[in-house]
Amino acid sequence: MKIQLLPVVLCAAVIGLAGTGCNTVNSTETAQPGYQRNMVAEKRVITDSSLSRKVQILGINATEGPGGFLKVQAELQNNTRSLHRFSYKWEWFDLSGNLVEGPTAVAVTRQIEGKETMFISGIAPSPAAKDFRLKLYENAK
Amino acid sequence: MNRILSTSLVAASCAALFAGCASSPQATYVDPSGNRTLSNVGQINIQDWNMASETMINSLIEKQVNPGRLKSSGPDGKSILAISRIVNSTGTQIDTDMIVKKIRIALLGTGKVVADITAGLGGAEDPLAAEAKREQELLGNKKIAARPDYTLSGKIIENRAAQGNLRESTYVFQMSLASSDGLAVWEEEKTISKQGKKSAVSW
Repeated sequence: MKIQLLPVVLCAAVIGLAGTGCNTVNSTETAQPGYQRNMVAEKRVITDSSLSRKVQILGINATEGPGGFLKVQAELQNNTRSLHRFSYKWEWFDLSGNLVEGPTAVAVTRQIEGKETMFISGIAPSPAAKDFRLKLYENAK
Repeated sequence: MNRILSTSLVAASCAALFAGCASSPQATYVDPSGNRTLSNVGQINIQDWNMASETMINSLIEKQVNPGRLKSSGPDGKSILAISRIVNSTGTQIDTDMIVKKIRIALLGTGKVVADITAGLGGAEDPLAAEAKREQELLGNKKIAARPDYTLSGKIIENRAAQGNLRESTYVFQMSLASSDGLAVWEEEKTISKQGKKSAVSW
């Protein structure tokens, strides 16, 4: 009797564990969005294909406010069914291509649930910053 | 012969392994703006300060500086900012300049704001600059400097929770910008929560 029960208990435990690790996100939105995003043509350099599968950039849009500060927003999606932690950092460049440094050029850690989409945004530290680069990191463990 | 060879190989492998392990006590420089700095539960770490100040700065630029909402009575049409009280409501001693200085650096970097370091609740931040300003005013070389257009105040709150061996620390960073007539024109809040097992170090 004990021998027959053991595989059943083990299977139930495995299914239970798998179930707790895969909480995906359901979402709903308007079919015809009332906004229009100014999408940016991008060039991607992927060195960590594992991370790019987990946290995929769906698109980037940018706007410039009246003060001349560039605001950039990126939409990300977790293509897996499990939660992932990642970090991102914005880098800003002036018209000559020089890096514009500032206290906001720091790695920000976020977590994204399975199949969830989320937005991350950055704002240029000065009106001189006219271009940007988004870096994504898999969180070091 | 074979036995001697295999023993030598095992000895060489062990030596190489231990030599590799022995390098750990050396100090290593890490990028303080990156994600490899140490973080733990129960303390505000460098990544937390970075993330809180990033949120505050982005919000200030987006909601006040970029739309041109700041009124300005300073030189070259810049707004004058003074720092008010930042209350530490956490259980640990912290230096609030870890966030305030970053905000000031960023605002000065926008070219739209200047900071008044001669005004402060506990006295002037730079007493020599305050003395020089007073002398200039007394000698009549300079008209009486404008009062700060805005003051920045805030509070840092801590909340702790535990469940079994799991510990959670939440830090709430609250900041307000008030105009000279005492009205709050900008407010922001950033909450950072960290979980970890007791005395665990996480990345």
